[in-house]
Amino acid sequence: MPSPSISNILGFERKLIVGVGGMAVSNDPGVILTTYSLGSCLGITIYDPVSHTGGLLHVMLPDSSINPEKASTQPGMFVDTGVPALFRAAYELKAEKHRIQICVAGGAQFLDQSGFFNIGQRNYASLCELLHQHGLVIQAEQVGGLVSRTVHLNLARGEVRLRSSGQPDETILFRG
Amino acid sequence: MQALDDYINQVTTLQPAPRVLSELLALLRKEDTDSAQIVELITFDPALTAKVLQRCNSVFWSADHPVSDMSEAVGRVGFNEIYRLVALVVGEGVLRHPQAGYRMHGGELWQHSVTCALAARVIAHRLAGDENLVFTAGLLHDIGKMVLSSFLEDAYEPIMNRIEPSGLSFLEAEKSILGVEHAEVGGRLLQRWNFPRNLVYAVGRHHDPASAKPHHQLAAYIYVGDIIAHCLGQAGGLQSFAVRGRPEALEILEITPREMEGFMLEAEAELQAQNWLFQPKK
Repeated sequence: MPSPSISNILGFERKLIVGVGGMAVSNDPGVILTTYSLGSCLGITIYDPVSHTGGLLHVMLPDSSINPEKASTQPGMFVDTGVPALFRAAYELKAEKHRIQICVAGGAQFLDQSGFFNIGQRNYASLCELLHQHGLVIQAEQVGGLVSRTVHLNLARGEVRLRSSGQPDETILFRG
Repeated sequence: MQALDDYINQVTTLQPAPRVLSELLALLRKEDTDSAQIVELITFDPALTAKVLQRCNSVFWSADHPVSDMSEAVGRVGFNEIYRLVALVVGEGVLRHPQAGYRMHGGELWQHSVTCALAARVIAHRLAGDENLVFTAGLLHDIGKMVLSSFLEDAYEPIMNRIEPSGLSFLEAEKSILGVEHAEVGGRLLQRWNFPRNLVYAVGRHHDPASAKPHHQLAAYIYVGDIIAHCLGQAGGLQSFAVRGRPEALEILEITPREMEGFMLEAEAELQAQNWLFQPKK
């Protein structure tokens, strides 16, 4: 996936919004990648501090086998198809695997003993397994809990900020 | 009932009853209803009619061939589409305001309600349920929050203390602090507004569908629609995932967790298709 083309206005940060099942990758340091409304979905950010390449993915479900057709048109819907697509797009912009910093937020959980509604937990488990297979580790995370979250990745320095629903202030998840 | 009515009576900012919805639902269920009766009922309210026609023109066809009257609109897109537009216009009027006690901004309760309604309808469509009824129940399921919001404004600490360490659901925290909870208040409000008994029951017990017998199926549609809306991040507000898992809701509808994931995908696509409903996000 090519970098989104945005007109360059010096001195202004531009916010690029990623929807459910979407992703964006850029190496423009003036850009902030943002995704809203992470319920049980996961927001996964990656950042290479040398090439200043960063990406943000908003995945909804753990496993694309539930709807392979959807996965082919919108790989970002699923952990198993979205994460590889995110990394491939970043590599095209000169990101290198050994430098990549990974942050994760979302995956909220209901008060559910039955496991019938544990989509957030399964998203996270699926992500951890995939990263582990490729020798990758998560730098910072805020996963689970009872809130929806908004995530911002600042491409100038790789800082990741969060806001939880019902709370007025943003917090820093990763300083970059 | 007394406590429920006390809370409802104290809120002076409640909108007038969306009576047109309950009357339309009744008409749609009768076999001998003709379009003239439906048109007459809607056009009784000129402001509503204007908004529905405006929505109708922006959603269903291009600016080249706008409709200018309700009979033509019903003729062109059918009762069901017009009913849902009426429900959306009426629902937005009632539900768009901020709910400070729940830490919900303006539009958040509305967006949650619409997502629940769309998701529940997706499921009802597949299972051959009454889509209009399910859609309406989904739209109005949290209407009790409008009543309780102001009573929870100063209860931030008590709510947090009951949910996080004690493991109560938000609904149980409300009950423990106020003696009533938003689902039963919502059911009572709809009863006072003369909504049909099944809708009253289902909204009143939407957090515990099995207890809503004989209307547990309708309650289960709303419950699963509500869960999907939360999963899609369309909930907002404080501790919004403090909802108890009710696996029996899936059993009532005879769907598996995997099928629910499929409905989530469909609901998300539907939400994208209907994004004209919402103001752009800040």
